[in-house]
Amino acid sequence: MVFKQLFNYLFIFLMLMLPTVSLFKFHQYMDIYEMFILIGTGITFIVIGKNWQNFRYLVLIVLILSFFSIFLYEGNLFSGEKQFVLKYFLSSQSAIMWMCSLYPLSLLIYWLYLFKRHSFFGNFASQLTWIATAMGFIGLLVRWFESYLISIDVGHIPISNLYEVFVLFCLVTALLHLYYEEKMNRKELGAFVLIVISVAVGFILWYTFSKGADAIQPLVPALQSYWMKIHVPANFVGYGAFAIAAMISVAYLLVNKGILKSRLPSLIILDDLTYKAIAIGFIFFTIATILGAVWAAEAWGGYWSWDPKETWALIVWLNYAGWLHLRLVKGLRGPMLAWWSVMGLLITTFAFLGVNLFLSGLHSYGEL
Amino acid sequence: MRFAITMLCFIGIASVIGTILKQNELYENYIIKFGQFWFEFFEVMGLYNVYQAFWFLVILIFLIISTSFCVSRNSPKILKEYKKFQLNAREKSLSSFKHSYEFPVKKFDFVKLEKLLLDNKFRLKRQIKKDGSLILSAKKGDFQKLGYIFTHLAIIIISIGGLMDGNLVLKMQELTGTKQIIYEDLALNDIPETGKLKTSNFSYRAQMLLREGEKQSVAVLKVKEGYLIQDLPFSVGLSDFRIKHYSTGQPKSFESDLIVEDKASGQLVKKTINVNNPLTFNGITIYQSSFEDGGSELALDIWNLHSPEKASKMESVIFKKNELVFNEKKYFFEFNDFRKFNILDIESGNKKTPTNVGPSFIYKVRNESGQAHEYQTYQFPMRIDKSLYFVSGMRKTPQEEYQYLKLPADANGEIEGFMIFRALLHSPQTLNDAIEKVVAQSFPEGGEKSQIYFEGVKRVMSEFVHGGYSQIASSIDPSISLEDQKRIANSYIKIIFLVGQELIDIYQLNNAEIDNFLFESNYKFVQEALTGFNDSFFYGLPIFLELKEYVHIQSSGLQLTKSPGQFWVYLGCILLVLGIFCMIYIQEVRLWVLKKKDKKNVLVALTTNRHRYEFDQFAVRISQQIRKILN
Repeated sequence: MVFKQLFNYLFIFLMLMLPTVSLFKFHQYMDIYEMFILIGTGITFIVIGKNWQNFRYLVLIVLILSFFSIFLYEGNLFSGEKQFVLKYFLSSQSAIMWMCSLYPLSLLIYWLYLFKRHSFFGNFASQLTWIATAMGFIGLLVRWFESYLISIDVGHIPISNLYEVFVLFCLVTALLHLYYEEKMNRKELGAFVLIVISVAVGFILWYTFSKGADAIQPLVPALQSYWMKIHVPANFVGYGAFAIAAMISVAYLLVNKGILKSRLPSLIILDDLTYKAIAIGFIFFTIATILGAVWAAEAWGGYWSWDPKETWALIVWLNYAGWLHLRLVKGLRGPMLAWWSVMGLLITTFAFLGVNLFLSGLHSYGEL
Repeated sequence: MRFAITMLCFIGIASVIGTILKQNELYENYIIKFGQFWFEFFEVMGLYNVYQAFWFLVILIFLIISTSFCVSRNSPKILKEYKKFQLNAREKSLSSFKHSYEFPVKKFDFVKLEKLLLDNKFRLKRQIKKDGSLILSAKKGDFQKLGYIFTHLAIIIISIGGLMDGNLVLKMQELTGTKQIIYEDLALNDIPETGKLKTSNFSYRAQMLLREGEKQSVAVLKVKEGYLIQDLPFSVGLSDFRIKHYSTGQPKSFESDLIVEDKASGQLVKKTINVNNPLTFNGITIYQSSFEDGGSELALDIWNLHSPEKASKMESVIFKKNELVFNEKKYFFEFNDFRKFNILDIESGNKKTPTNVGPSFIYKVRNESGQAHEYQTYQFPMRIDKSLYFVSGMRKTPQEEYQYLKLPADANGEIEGFMIFRALLHSPQTLNDAIEKVVAQSFPEGGEKSQIYFEGVKRVMSEFVHGGYSQIASSIDPSISLEDQKRIANSYIKIIFLVGQELIDIYQLNNAEIDNFLFESNYKFVQEALTGFNDSFFYGLPIFLELKEYVHIQSSGLQLTKSPGQFWVYLGCILLVLGIFCMIYIQEVRLWVLKKKDKKNVLVALTTNRHRYEFDQFAVRISQQIRKILN
């Protein structure tokens, strides 16, 4: 207990100190907005940590291992291929590959838990998801560092292309899932949520090995803005939450048909969780879209240009606005809304991926 | 409300159409895609610019009106309810609630009860009724209903802001004929008043293309296939345009050094803008939006691919036309673009990495009958399959991919070696010498057979020199078996190659000072040069243009935006987020505590307008707490 108290103080101290130290050391590379984002990130982590103890452990472990990895690099990009620990664990590519192998594994064990109902499997699956998430975050952070090793002007936050944001999508979705899992104190839903994550992992693997998409590319001029650090993560909280909502809705529909009824939470709980996920997703998606508009006004000369990505964001927004409207104002419940939320994921996926695949426009940052 | 939602659905569907059908393309492209009938149908429907189509704007206006009605009807009710505590609730109705608890109390401690409710963020009111009973009405989460007003108001404000920045006024002016779109290319002085928009124009997004060193005080507003001229309250001068690059060659930033001068006050502002850093001046924001060539000057060498002479010179300017008489035929050159940097995937080691291969220029060549091919020629040789080539792409229509003519670089990395080789092929004397040498290798003793062989090789070479491999192929007797045809073709290719090698050897022997062919072995070069020579017959042009020198002059494309609606859109967005927060995260709860005068029992009742299962937990918990306090 005393240890935990101490740890929590240490966490708060670190979250305030690390950004401050970075400010002193690297302020010449940042503009005023980036400084605010830096400080704001620390404070956000403190707030999340206050409500979620495990998040604190995650942040700390990710930080320690990332710094260790950076230390091992010794300022040389090629260390990633030579140094043993880097090559197999802590280079960005290896860490992300660990993430890619652990998520599907934990999916498997979540299903095992669903059928065996032994708490060992539940806890194990959960822990694997935590570890995979930690590895993913380490991968992204180290990648951020690696991009600076390529060249100081190439360096940028790794959320700039389709490969990187897919990793981000997995991580955000997993984190949201872990949060709900802990608050509900039930672990069955991992068997559904991890499906979406594993599909995304499949895409990452395909994208890496057949398209070589993991190479770090310098930023195109339009993306060189502090806005990317806010707009993209906010958007992916939205996408992740919508994905979770859709998967819980799948569980809802199964239970509604009597399938796995005895093993899954009740309809009321599933329904409520879907609502919560869509609500949080909707808020983040709204904010992200608005911030995107503000950014567009700065970079493209208009807050709204009816670019395909923008337009599809509007369609996604209208879709979930309709969902919430029916539920909140009309008080509608039941399988209709569940189906709707599953369809919502298809629309979201099209906005996320399909627009890049089939339509051309200003948002063409990740082509296949 | 149903109407508003129908309108929103329409907007959604229209938006989807707008993303699937590429907007604001050239009308020719639509005609090619859809055919004349559907092209006209879609045009009438306004599908090429959905978001500014008349019906789309009408839907938006309807949406605003219907939402406004909705808000104005419901808001007073909501505001009234905010103040109202339902103290006249009857025991009967309270006890019929789902969450209604009745229990005996020992001591009715008001202070404690009120403190508990206040701690739970309730607002309270109490009353002693005429019959002596005591009622306490509490409520919290009223902001949930305010969320309703916020979100709906937000939609109205955002839509109005959007309409302010739309082109509604312009559409009206167009309909009444006060403004007319110009479709031809006119000089600024020739533009009629109806084609000009005053500086007082309410809102616009206009374009301006500025050459380095140029100054302008009007912008161009593109409308459909034509344009209007937008007068500006200031002039914009471009002193320099730069593209900065990463070490890999990809563009890092596009920057324009601008000098803006206010017409009225003479106020001068100098600023460098780039993609994420526009300049706002007098309510108008100037953005870096594109760039193109501003008329670069090119010095070119003209090589005749099909005859032996040396290069002649030509000078040209991008966007200008040159006429050239060549082999008694006229060619019209239209130089369309010059690109100083070209990033291509080039081999380095075993991988392909994006690399800057240097300048290229793009031009169209029209022959006398008006047929045109498009070319993109690179200045420097690039590495393909471990060899260096001068590369020039050719295509017949803009829809096609380029097909590339690859001419090998010589030992100095220049094109001269290939051109000497081509001249040697065209020189009868040297060609004869080379053929003799090849024949002598097969028939060292000479004789009649060697004479026949000599004539045969000479015929093959002559055919190759005048039409490439395909010409030879057409000379092979088609009546013999395919197998034999192949065999003969292969032997011809081998002979041509041997002659090619001899050509260079002889040339080198006579011109010791020439260093273009100082290879370890000329094997590869001859092979590549013969392939290049053969391909030149498919190049569509007997001329190869070599870029010797250039003066790079650029134009910067600026966008000028006057957007008075932006403030309102942002304001609406803030309201929207606030409203959604209120609607989602605030739960409205009403609670009553009723104690009849003559009874020992207390009745606690709770209700909410939106039922969630957390409310059930809350109701049970708070009623238990009340019970505990009153006991």
